[in-house]
Amino acid sequence: MSSMSSGRIVGRSTGDRIILVLVIALALIMMAPIAWIIALSLKDNKELMTDMNSVFHAPYTINNYVNILATSSVFRWILNSVIVSGGLTIMTLVLSSLAGYGFARLSFPFRNTLFVIVLLGLAVPEQAVLIARHQLFSWLKFHNTYHGLILPGLAAPFGVFLMTQYFRAIPKELDEAALLDNASRFKIFWKVLLPLTIPAQATLGIFTFLSSWNDYFWPLISGTKKEMYTLTIGIASTQTNFAQSEGLGFLMSQAVFAGAPILILYLFFQKYIVTAVSGAAVR
Amino acid sequence: MTAHIEIQNVSKRYGSLTVLDGLSLTINANEFMVFLGPSGCGKSTLLRMIAGLESVDDGTISINGERIDNLPPGQRDIAMVFQSYALYPHMTVADNMAFGLRNIGLPAEVISARVAEAARMLEIGHLLERKPGQLSGGQRQRVAIGRAIVKEPKAFLFDEPLSNLDAALRVRTRVELAQLRNRVRSTMIFVTHDQIEAMTLADRIVVMNNRKIEQIGTPMEIYSRPASRFVATFVGSPTMNFLPVGLSGENGFARAKLPDGTDLQTAIRLEGINGSGHSLGIRAEAVKLANGTAATTTGKVEVIERLGDRTLLYTRLKEGSVVIAEDVGNSRIAIGDQVALALDGARTHLFNAEGRAWHNEGVGHG
Repeated sequence: MSSMSSGRIVGRSTGDRIILVLVIALALIMMAPIAWIIALSLKDNKELMTDMNSVFHAPYTINNYVNILATSSVFRWILNSVIVSGGLTIMTLVLSSLAGYGFARLSFPFRNTLFVIVLLGLAVPEQAVLIARHQLFSWLKFHNTYHGLILPGLAAPFGVFLMTQYFRAIPKELDEAALLDNASRFKIFWKVLLPLTIPAQATLGIFTFLSSWNDYFWPLISGTKKEMYTLTIGIASTQTNFAQSEGLGFLMSQAVFAGAPILILYLFFQKYIVTAVSGAAVR
Repeated sequence: MTAHIEIQNVSKRYGSLTVLDGLSLTINANEFMVFLGPSGCGKSTLLRMIAGLESVDDGTISINGERIDNLPPGQRDIAMVFQSYALYPHMTVADNMAFGLRNIGLPAEVISARVAEAARMLEIGHLLERKPGQLSGGQRQRVAIGRAIVKEPKAFLFDEPLSNLDAALRVRTRVELAQLRNRVRSTMIFVTHDQIEAMTLADRIVVMNNRKIEQIGTPMEIYSRPASRFVATFVGSPTMNFLPVGLSGENGFARAKLPDGTDLQTAIRLEGINGSGHSLGIRAEAVKLANGTAATTTGKVEVIERLGDRTLLYTRLKEGSVVIAEDVGNSRIAIGDQVALALDGARTHLFNAEGRAWHNEGVGHG
């Protein structure tokens, strides 16, 4: 294998070398702001106020991170984010899979019309329904509850669309073979088809988790009590009025802190994210 | 346990489109029945109706006297091998084979014993822990058959199972299927559009065309006494020669006037032949090169197909019809040669314009 790899490098054409250099340069450009944020997060706020160039030399400190952890509610906010993002992801996967199976495999009246209606949901921006949703949730006393934070995300037309297309791509002969193997419809769904959709589930799960974790808009409206803040809202609430100038290091450490779980998730599911973004088939 | 399958007046419609129209058919216990026909003739639909994967709009299907067309597929005690094999991609070979048995709640030791026995029979024991994606086409095919065998069903249904294999593997698998059939005594129904598969495997063939059954018979009945012009054309390679003829009689037997004016005495009784626009059908093996007086007609060789053991000569007669003749394997005939042909009148068939057939032992099945 190593000889093959080295052989390839030796045989690399000039064009390939240029592309490689460009890719490395692009990667550096993309990573620069992240490195900048991390470097700033490791500097004392006062030092940054007097000299921004101090970011390039010692001393570095982890005080900003200690200060975040010292905020009494931060672990509660992390827990809230995990519950909301995790709950939303699991429920979205369950509902989208069931709906996708239904649209792909079952015959029922107005199936195509319903599917079009679901797809139309993709075209409705959240802002358009925000006031109505806020009033409804207020009337139902859903604000400042976990279900209040989770429920709006469950209407996931993208998830239904993705899973429907994925189920449609699975040959119907598998259902038929399972029918002849005496499997019930639920068993066919659970044992035969669902395991084949794991790549799609992973893709959908990652996107759902990421967007929910990073969501700021709805949690800001629905979670108004401090103990119901998600991490994004909680961290934002600790910023002072002049954070951009007086507390830059702290601000950046908050950004790193909020983004770290996403980074970890990315490392675990890198393969699926790349595939999902490139639109290639995973099976 | 084996299945005696009775299909009575079965019809299938998709909206206004009729796919099968009042079909009746009996498949005997332990019989290897082949449904043969061109694409779209309804043969796979009929198979799927027996399996329970398609509903029956009219008529009934019974196994051993018990009506099954209203039972779900899993309760018909039938196993099916699909054209695409339909193996569960995420399960190992062993799990693929065991899935159906687990669903009916058989004890684990019975399941393992059956899987092991089928794997031994099909020589796939070393593949049991692999997944279908790690298998070749031929191996997948064996696993699909294994999955059917372990169920010990009353009947096996095969939906064009060889069509995804390459030519050499198809021939080998065909032979293996014939051997398997001798070991697993059960009713088998095999759908194909390949007449060689049908001829080599079947006890009886059902030739289907255009939503109907054209003929049911043993391979040799189908070949030598085709019930219609369609069957004569569809079965046999090369296809049967057809020449438009005028008919007269001599001693009660039909005498055919070929397009070039030559008379050919047949062994077909004139009595009962009706209709108009008659054609004479004769297979290539009954058209030989003639020497001297035996010649019936002459033609110019346009195409030569050398098959090794024999040579096929596509000859154009004076009036324009093409007749395929057979010569020996090492034939010295060249393209452009003018050859004399001897047509064996005793091995001819007559068809009228409606496609009805008459053969040399009185009126045929048409």
